[in-house]
Amino acid sequence: MENAWIIPLFPLLSFLFLLLFGKKLKENSAFVGILLVGISFVYSLIVLFERFSQPTYKAEGTWLSIGDVQLTAGFEVNQLNALMLVIVSLVSLLVHTYSKGYMHDDERFHVFYAYLGLFTFAMLGLVLSPNLLQTYIFWELVGVGSFLLIGFYFYKEDAKKAAKKAFIMTRIGDVGLFIGMILLFWQVGSFEYDEIFAAVETGSISTGMITLTAILIFIGAVGKSGQFPLHTWLPDAMEGPTPVSALIHAATMVAAGVYLVAALFPLFTASETALMTVAVIGAITAIFAASIGLVQTDIKRILAYSTVSQLGYMMLALGSAGYVAGVFHLMTHAFFKALLFLAAGSVIHAVHTQNIEEMGGLWKKLRVTGPLFLVGTLAISGVPLFSGFFSKDEILISAWVHGNIALFWLAVIAAFFTAFYMFRLFFLVFTGEARKEIRNVHESPSVMTLPMVVLGVLAVVAGYVNTPWFGTFLGDWLVEGNEALGHGHVEGPAWIMIVATLVSLAGIFLAYLMYGKKSLSRDWLSSRAPVTYSVLYNKYFIDEFYELTIVNITKFFSLFLKYIEVFIVEGIIKLVVEVVQTFGKTGSRVHNGQVQMYGTVAFVGLAVLFVIFAVTGGYFG
Amino acid sequence: MDLEQMLSYQWAIMTPEFIILGIATILSIMDLFMPKNQDRKILGWIAFTAIIAAFVSLLGLVDLEVTSILYDTFRLDSYAKAFKLLLLIGAALVMLLAISYEPKEGMKEYKGEFYYLFLTALLGAMVMSSSGDLITLFVGLELLSLSSYILAGIRKKHLPSNESAMKYVINGGISTAVTLFGLSYVFGLTGSTNLTEITGVLSANFDTQQIYLLGLSFLLVFVGLSFKLASVPFHMWAPDVYQGAPTPVTAFLSVVSKTAGFVILLRILLTVYGAAPSGSSTASYPMLIKMQDYIALLAGATMIIGNVIALRQRNVKRLFAYSSIAHAGYLLVAIAALSAFMFDAMWFYLGAYLFMNLGAFAIIQLISGKSDNEDISAFAGLYKRSPILAVSMGVFLLSLAGIPGTAGFIGKLNIFMGTFYVDPAHYVLASVMIATTVISYFYYFGIFTQMFFRPAASDEKIKLPAGIIVVLVITVAATIVFGLFPNLAFDFLHTSFNGFSDMFQ
Repeated sequence: MENAWIIPLFPLLSFLFLLLFGKKLKENSAFVGILLVGISFVYSLIVLFERFSQPTYKAEGTWLSIGDVQLTAGFEVNQLNALMLVIVSLVSLLVHTYSKGYMHDDERFHVFYAYLGLFTFAMLGLVLSPNLLQTYIFWELVGVGSFLLIGFYFYKEDAKKAAKKAFIMTRIGDVGLFIGMILLFWQVGSFEYDEIFAAVETGSISTGMITLTAILIFIGAVGKSGQFPLHTWLPDAMEGPTPVSALIHAATMVAAGVYLVAALFPLFTASETALMTVAVIGAITAIFAASIGLVQTDIKRILAYSTVSQLGYMMLALGSAGYVAGVFHLMTHAFFKALLFLAAGSVIHAVHTQNIEEMGGLWKKLRVTGPLFLVGTLAISGVPLFSGFFSKDEILISAWVHGNIALFWLAVIAAFFTAFYMFRLFFLVFTGEARKEIRNVHESPSVMTLPMVVLGVLAVVAGYVNTPWFGTFLGDWLVEGNEALGHGHVEGPAWIMIVATLVSLAGIFLAYLMYGKKSLSRDWLSSRAPVTYSVLYNKYFIDEFYELTIVNITKFFSLFLKYIEVFIVEGIIKLVVEVVQTFGKTGSRVHNGQVQMYGTVAFVGLAVLFVIFAVTGGYFG
Repeated sequence: MDLEQMLSYQWAIMTPEFIILGIATILSIMDLFMPKNQDRKILGWIAFTAIIAAFVSLLGLVDLEVTSILYDTFRLDSYAKAFKLLLLIGAALVMLLAISYEPKEGMKEYKGEFYYLFLTALLGAMVMSSSGDLITLFVGLELLSLSSYILAGIRKKHLPSNESAMKYVINGGISTAVTLFGLSYVFGLTGSTNLTEITGVLSANFDTQQIYLLGLSFLLVFVGLSFKLASVPFHMWAPDVYQGAPTPVTAFLSVVSKTAGFVILLRILLTVYGAAPSGSSTASYPMLIKMQDYIALLAGATMIIGNVIALRQRNVKRLFAYSSIAHAGYLLVAIAALSAFMFDAMWFYLGAYLFMNLGAFAIIQLISGKSDNEDISAFAGLYKRSPILAVSMGVFLLSLAGIPGTAGFIGKLNIFMGTFYVDPAHYVLASVMIATTVISYFYYFGIFTQMFFRPAASDEKIKLPAGIIVVLVITVAATIVFGLFPNLAFDFLHTSFNGFSDMFQ
């Protein structure tokens, strides 16, 4: 554990190496990336196992002292960090492997691997950070990695736009995080998590300030985790290569917001208002994104909205004081959503379209991808015995026990929607007849299917580390030695589990009737309620709303600035240029004109200073 | 002064200067006797070795108590030591650039001069940092200036080089006159040229008439020295001279010469004007505190002019001239704020600037060298042609722009914190600094886009001379290491130099 700091360095090494020598290695770059991230993964596993038997390890040193302010840097291995290390490095390793097949024949293959390395480095650095400042630096670096990877196909106009949008939308949240961080520093005198918690505990920060800073930091999490209302960048980010969507926009980076709230959990629990804000935003996001997911037709966009919705669940859990539930769902979601994205990538790889209306009957052709996709779908729908079932159940219980009854029912409805749209997706893609002639469909190479199999296994078994039946091992371990995080397991009424099961089965059944057996008309919604359908299909017109308001205001403002630039700045510059040129014309003949000018400027400057000195009698004021 | 007294001086404290002086003399003689066609590169390597030797001998003197010889005209205090280290590192790197410098025409027969003139310029800079007297200070300043004038025009048959030298000489002459005029006031008011004695006389002087005159001399000296810093109002020469001069000389001017300028400015300000009373009702403030606003005004103007005009530049060396004006502005902010850790901030910033700027100039020299094409477009597609060069240049640009993870960021952060650390805080100055830093992103990232996102004009491989490789390795490493572990530098500064407390002894 003492050497945990070395874990992020391997992907960094991979990044630097491939940046410099990738061009020569071509597709062999993949081996470098896989090997180095593999080492990181092994190390992470070791650290996790060590953490089971040993206490939290923290190492820090003074990084910078400015006057008497000491800024520190270091790393910390607590339960949450150790768990995150394994999740991030494992998913990254699998995505590295998968990409070898998926990105095959891409001209910038090595660049892709270099970027993956950079991102993995930043993400691992983020989860090891013991203080807010360090977190913030890596937080931004993660954003840069995401920006580069979304815009990987930069020659595609949409990809360029999506990259820009992702960067700007998350920046809006980051401003909140930055202000919150500075406020906390001002109050506590330190960026250290430990000292912040100590200050919260002793009450040296006022309750109002706790609420304010917690909400500001949450705004940062809202941006990064695609929560309402800053969620619109996430579906657009699907313009990036699919493995990237699996790594960044499903399993790791978007979970960073959830991680941040979890890492600062004692701060949030100190303010009921802050907790409530987190819970409400989470629940709204969960149902909101799920309802949009009902009618989308792009396979990756459906998964994106589902990610937004599931992240909302995690926020709801944290907001309901369900620390364990939130982190548990973060873990299971990382596995089954990465699986779904990789499987979707495999489907896209086979049929070269992302429109599910054009797919169908792929079950027989994709003998490996199909069943794996089904596993992921069952897990996310919360079907009993799959991982998603247990973690979602924890969240519902937390919400109920914490007294957020309205939010609880929202979450139940969202669960119904989830089961429905996921199985709609499944039936449309894998059953029935192909709606468009799709030729040459073949299963992906084993370098792609193998990572999916690993994730498939995890999507099933990951839930059993924390169940009401076999013991709440994960939960007990996570909160061990830290009472501020709440209980390892929250007892709830048994009927919640039954309701959750029924709801998800009902969703699946409805999807089956409409898209599997087709006994219900597919156009049921669009024919009965065209307005609702259109609202959902157009994602509640959120983008249009932003277009109308924020974008226009910004445009107006930039127009205003442009005029300033054209008439004032350019004017001044033109004036300067004119003056210089006038002198320059005579100067070029005699070759001393400009020098005179320079001397003049110096003398005029001196004279102006003298005048000020004389007029003010020596000094300003 | 008889022989006995001569021998009683601790000449050892001048060892670094003697090494530089001796080798410069030897080189000039060797150059005379070497056959005309023989390659002069060997002279460059000798000069480089001399700088290293001087550096090592200076390190040996680090633990020495403050000592002064020759009637207190030459003093070796921790302030002088700390900044001389920077000057020597900078000069060593510049020398490596000079050895690898092979322009198309106009240089061949002056190679010998090229090397030893750098040494004499360096000697001037070192004497400046160690001077305890206005006379030695001025002699050092002139030695540095005169050598630089010749260096700027050393490509005798290259027209821009001639133009550059001409402009430099004329502007330098004006600045010298202004500085001397200011210093003559100081002498007139105190009757001494010795800095310590001046301090003593001034701190007891409360005649308001004389204080007023001293205020005028402050402005004269500051404006005169701003020539060396390339800051407003004496900044206009920089773009023309930087553009025309051979690239190693430009690098020398923008780093070593500028550092020397700051060293001497700070010493005069602190010893002379830091001691003088302000003459206002609150007489307890020294004059320097009261004159802060003038420095702040000029610092603000320097940052704005440097950064804004840089936006319009297409010529890389011209662009870096404006960038170097802007950096002088940031450094003036530290002086204007006068916070408790101003020395730390300035020393670190000058060090960081030394590495990142010299690294950038190494690459500029390489890219523009052969073709004499100094347009930004010469950088197009550099990543395709040579990923290593492009990534290194990326590091330097990020550092110059002040992005976290680089030494430039720590330097800016220190200065920035300094403006808030004093009472009253300099909010306006800090805001100008932030705003102009943002402006600077545009032109630095302009080069970035050229390197990474533009197709290359030619696929010609770039050959890396050994000297350039060494410079790049050192500068990239230093830029990143001091960006990630700034305390390495600060710890060294604090343990070796004890906060410069012996400056006024």
